[in-house]
Amino acid sequence: MPFLALITRNVLTRRVRAGLTGLAVAIAIMTVVALGVLTHSLRRTAISVLQTGSADFTVAQKGVSDVLYSSLDNSQVARIKAEPGVQSIVGVLVAAIKLDSNHPFFLELGIPPDELAPFGVQILKGHPYTATATNEVMLGWRASQDLHKNVGDVINIDGNNFTVVGIYSVGNVFGDSASMLPLTTLQTNERKPGNVTLAFVKVTPGTNIDALRKRIEQANPEIATVRTQSEFGRVDRNLSLISAANVGITIMALIIGAIGVMNTMVMSVFERTREFGVLRAVGWTRARVLTLVMGEALLISFVGAMAGVVLGYLAIKGIQRVPELVGVFQPDYTSAIFARALGIAFGMAFLGALYPAIRAALLVPMEALRHE
Amino acid sequence: MSDDGGPAPIIQVTDVVKLYDDGLVRALDGVTMSAARGEFLAVTGPSGCGKSTLLQLIAALDRPTSGSIVVEGRDLREAGNDTYRRTGIGLVFQLHNLLPNLTALQNIEVAMFSNGRSHGEQRARARELLAAVGLGAKEKVTPPRLSGGERQRLAIARALANRPPILLADEPTGSLDSAAVDRVLELFREIREREGLTLLLVTHDAHVASTADRIVYMRDGKIVAAPEADVPAAAR
Repeated sequence: MPFLALITRNVLTRRVRAGLTGLAVAIAIMTVVALGVLTHSLRRTAISVLQTGSADFTVAQKGVSDVLYSSLDNSQVARIKAEPGVQSIVGVLVAAIKLDSNHPFFLELGIPPDELAPFGVQILKGHPYTATATNEVMLGWRASQDLHKNVGDVINIDGNNFTVVGIYSVGNVFGDSASMLPLTTLQTNERKPGNVTLAFVKVTPGTNIDALRKRIEQANPEIATVRTQSEFGRVDRNLSLISAANVGITIMALIIGAIGVMNTMVMSVFERTREFGVLRAVGWTRARVLTLVMGEALLISFVGAMAGVVLGYLAIKGIQRVPELVGVFQPDYTSAIFARALGIAFGMAFLGALYPAIRAALLVPMEALRHE
Repeated sequence: MSDDGGPAPIIQVTDVVKLYDDGLVRALDGVTMSAARGEFLAVTGPSGCGKSTLLQLIAALDRPTSGSIVVEGRDLREAGNDTYRRTGIGLVFQLHNLLPNLTALQNIEVAMFSNGRSHGEQRARARELLAAVGLGAKEKVTPPRLSGGERQRLAIARALANRPPILLADEPTGSLDSAAVDRVLELFREIREREGLTLLLVTHDAHVASTADRIVYMRDGKIVAAPEADVPAAAR
C-alpha cells in the first residue's frame, strides 16, 4: 500500500471534517487569489500610464493618492529639462473621463504635437493635430477599433465634438487604448493651465540615470521619479495602500487558514492517539508518524487551494461586473499569484499541522495504546 | 552462551523494576527471567501481577525503571527501538488494535512500511499471511466487519508481517469464545512449526498457559514458584 494511498484514505475517512477544513482553506485562498489579481491588475493599469511614453524614467508629484492627481507646473518641468544629462522631457496632461457606459475609464493625453515623436508616438493613419486645434483628436489604434472611429469621424468627448485626424501607436495596450489631443486644449478643458500630470524624461547616452534622478529629487523635494514598478508607490499612495492591505489580508488568511488546519489536525491526532500507538508499536518511526500527519494536512490544504483558485477566478469574474470597475479593471492572471496561493496553502498546512504532527510523533507507544 | 554453558537465551530479563505514579505503584519488582530460542513460554498470574507490563517492556513499548532487557544480544535501554519493534518482534494485543478504516490486507501492509521491500512484495506477503490465518477471502473486509476470532487472527498475521524471530502476545485469547481460542492456539502451533519463532504469551487462562513449553508464574510484580494446584501431579 503506497504511503500516499494511506494518507488519502485517512483523509477520506473523515470526509466532513476534512471537507470543512478544505472549505476554510479554499475561502482563504480565494481571498488571496482575488485580492492578488485585483491588486496586480490595478497596479499594472496604473503603471501603464507611467510607461506610455518611450522614456528612461517618469516624473510625478510625490505622495499623491492617485497618480492621475499628480500636478507639475511649467517651471518644474523647465528645471528638470535644465539638468545636465536630460536629453528631452515631455510634459503630458492625463485626464480620465467616462466616455459612455461601456467606456467608464477613457484616457485623454494632452501632448504638444512637436513632442509626439520624442514621446514615441507613431502615426499609423492621418496626421497629427495642430498645436492650437480645439477640435482635433488622435485615437490609439485599439481605441479606434473599439469605438469604431476612423480618420475623419467625429467623436464626442466630455461634451465636446472632436474630429479624428489620426490613428497612432505607442506600443503599449494602455496608451493605444487612449486618445491624444493638443496639450493646451486639454489644459483648457480641464481648467489646468500650465500644468501637466507627468513628465517623461529621456537621458543623453552614457548618463548615470539613478544619479540623475537623485539630483532631480534633491533639487525638487516635491516630486518623485519612477523607473520601476516597485517604485510606483512613491507617486500613488492608493495603490500602495491597496498593496499593503493585500499583504495584510494575505497574512490574515494564512493565519486563519493555519488555525483551521491546526484545529482539525489536533482533533484528529487526539482522536487517533491509540492508532498512532499501534503504528509506533509495529515499528513506525517518529519521522514517519510526523510525515503522515503533515501529509494529511498538506492533502487537505492542496485540495482546498485548488478549490480556492477556482473560487478566486469566479470572484474576479464577479468583480469585473461591478459597474464602477467595467473598463478599468482588466484581470491579469499571473503564475506568480497562483504560485503564491499554493505557497500560502502549503504554509497553512505546515504551520497548522506542525504542532499536532510533533505531538503525534512524540507519543509514548504504551501510553498511546492505553488511550481510550 | 548462557551462564550455565547452554545456548544464549534469545530474551534475557535481569532484575527489572518498573515503577508508576512516582514510585507509588511497583508494577515489576526485580524480575529476572529468560526465554530460549524457539521456546513457547507462557507468563501467567492474576490480574495486576505485572505480566503485561513485563511483555510491554520486552516489546520496547516502555522502558524499565531499572534493570536490563537484552533481546538477541541487544540491550533495549539503548536509544532507537523502532527497527527492533518493526523486525525484531511481532506484537499481538488482547484488543487486536487493528486500524478500523483499513482493510484486512492494508492492516498488514501498514506494518511493512520502511522494511525495504517493494509494494508488490509487501502485498504478496500480506496475502500469504492472510491465507495462512484463514482470512484469504476477507482481504478487503475492514476489522469492524470481522468476528472477534477473525480479528485476532488478522492481528497475528500483522505481527508476522516482517518475519520477526519473536512473537509477543498479550492475552491474545482474552476476548474470544472457546472455539476461537482453540483456533488461535492451533494457529500459534502452526506458526511455530512453520516459522520456528520464539513465542512469549501472557495469559491468565490456565488452559492456554498449559499449551506452552514452559510457564512462568508472577504475583505482585515478581516471578514466583508455581502454585501447588498448577504443578502436575507427577512432579509433586
